[in-house]
Amino acid sequence: MILPTPEEKKQWEEEGYLVFENAIQGADLKRLQTAFDHWADACKGEWLDRVEAGDAAATFYDIPNPLEKDPIFIDIIDYPSYYGALMDFTDHDLILLGPQVRTVAPWPVSYTGWHPDVGYDNPLHIKVQIYVNDVEPGGGEFGFVPGSHKRDSGPYTRPMRQESMTGHKTFPGKAGTAIMFNSCGWHVSMDNHSDTPRKSIILIYEKRTPGRIGPEQYASISEYCQTPERRKLFSLDG
Amino acid sequence: MPRIDAHLHVFTKASPEFPREISDVWPAEREEPVEKLLDEMEKHQIDQAVLVQMAGASIENHRYLLRCLKEYPNRFVGIGLVPEGHPNPVEHMAELTDDTGIIGFRFSTFGGPRDIFAKMDVREFAAYPIWECAAERDYVLWLYPNAINAHLLPYLIEAFPQVRIVLNHLAVCPGAGKFSWDEFGRPQVQVTGYNLFMHTTYRLARFENVNVHLSGQYAFSKEEFPYKDLAGWHHGLLGGFGAKRLMWATDFPWILEEPGYGKLTTVIEELLPNLSDAELADIMGGNAKRILRFPDL
Repeated sequence: MILPTPEEKKQWEEEGYLVFENAIQGADLKRLQTAFDHWADACKGEWLDRVEAGDAAATFYDIPNPLEKDPIFIDIIDYPSYYGALMDFTDHDLILLGPQVRTVAPWPVSYTGWHPDVGYDNPLHIKVQIYVNDVEPGGGEFGFVPGSHKRDSGPYTRPMRQESMTGHKTFPGKAGTAIMFNSCGWHVSMDNHSDTPRKSIILIYEKRTPGRIGPEQYASISEYCQTPERRKLFSLDG
Repeated sequence: MPRIDAHLHVFTKASPEFPREISDVWPAEREEPVEKLLDEMEKHQIDQAVLVQMAGASIENHRYLLRCLKEYPNRFVGIGLVPEGHPNPVEHMAELTDDTGIIGFRFSTFGGPRDIFAKMDVREFAAYPIWECAAERDYVLWLYPNAINAHLLPYLIEAFPQVRIVLNHLAVCPGAGKFSWDEFGRPQVQVTGYNLFMHTTYRLARFENVNVHLSGQYAFSKEEFPYKDLAGWHHGLLGGFGAKRLMWATDFPWILEEPGYGKLTTVIEELLPNLSDAELADIMGGNAKRILRFPDL
C-alpha cells in the first residue's frame, strides 16, 4: 500500500485535495477507457429515453450499475496509486458509497453550480474523480476551493459564473489523472466550452459508520471481493 | 407596488363567437370567464394578471383572450400560442400582437436535436425564426419546455440575449407521459424525487434575461397546500435567479376548488418565509410589472 507522504498529508489537511497524475496508466488505463466507451455507448439510448420521460437529466449521464458491467470498474475502487491515501485519511476504516461513471456533454453552462456535498458534521466523505479522457482548460474540468473543507472557512456563496468563485483552483488533466477531495469542500464542474464530452469516474467513499451500507448493496459483485480488505471496503460483511 | 398574478387562464363557453378546442376538462359548456377572475382578484387584492391562451392556437381560438385584453387593457397582458408546425409563425405572431395586448408567446418545443451530444447549430433549430422574430419585435417568450427539449434552451438564449424569457411553473420540464388530471380538475405532473431541473433549467440563471414564475405547485407536490415539500425548489430558484427574477402566479382556474385562490396568494410567504418585505413585493408583482411592462394603474 502506498501511503501518503508527509507533504501530501499536510496538503490534504490544509487544502482538502490531492492530485495523482498518471494514477492509472498503460494497459489499465486502456482497459478502463475501452470499458467506459463500450458501456457508455450501450447505455446511451436508454438514458435518452429516460430524459424524454423526465426521469433523467439531459446534461449528463451515468452508466447504471457499472460494477456489474466490467471488473475494471471494481479494480479502480482500491487502485494502489490512491488507495493508500484513502485508507490513511480514514484511519483504515474506509467504505465505498458508490461510483458514478459519468459522461458530461459540452453545453454553454456547466450542469452544476458550486457546492459542497456534505456538512461539516458528516463522517469524513471523500471523492476521487478520475479523468478517462484528457480534460483541457474550459473542457468541464474539476474546480475546487482549497481550504473550503474546513469548518472555520467561508462563508461561501454560489456565484452566477463558475469562474467568479473566490479562491478557486481548476484542475485540467490528462486521462488517468485522479483528484481526491474532501467533499465538505466547495467544488464544481467548470463550463465545458469545447466540443469534447468530459468522461470521468467519480468514486464516493466515507469513513465507516455502522449500518451506512448494507451487505446487500454490493452482493452481486461478491465474487470479485474475496480478500478481507475488499469485503470490508464493499461492506459485504455488514 | 401592484400585486400581479403572472400566469393564469380564462375561457368562455365554446361558441361561434369564441371558438375553442374542447376536452374532458374544458368541455364546450364550461366557462371560467374573466369576470370570475376579476372577482377573485378583487377579493384578494390582486391588481393585474397575465392571461395565457389555452384551448387552441389558431387566430380564431384567441378571440376570447383578445376580447378580455381589449376590455381591460390596464389590468391584463396576454400570452398567445402558435400552432405546432405553422407554415408562417412570424405572420401569425404579428397578427396577434397588432396593438392587442398580447406581449409574447408560449412554447414547449424548439425543434433541435434530441441528443445533447449532437452537433448544435442553433440556426437549424425549427424555433430559430420564432426567436429571431421575438428579438426583433420584443416579444416575451413564455416557456414550458418538454424534458427532451430543455438542453436546447441555452443555445437559443445565447443567440438572442435581448429576448425576455419566462420559464413557467418553477422551471419544471415535464416528461413524456407524466401528465394527468386529478380529482379537482387540476393538472398533475409526475416528477422525480431528485430535482433534475437544477442540472438544466436552473442553470439558465446565468443568463440575465431568464426569469421564472413560481406557480403550479399543486401539480408537482406530493403534499397539500402549502406544498412544503417544494420549499427546497423555491430556495434553489431564489438562490440562483435572485428575488428580482421570480414572479408569483396562481394558474387560475385550476386551483379554484383546491386550495382556492386566496390561499395561493400566500404561498410565497409560506415557502420562502425569510424574504424581506421588498423581496416579497417584487415577487408578488414588482418583477412582473417591470419585466412584462404592465401599464400603470
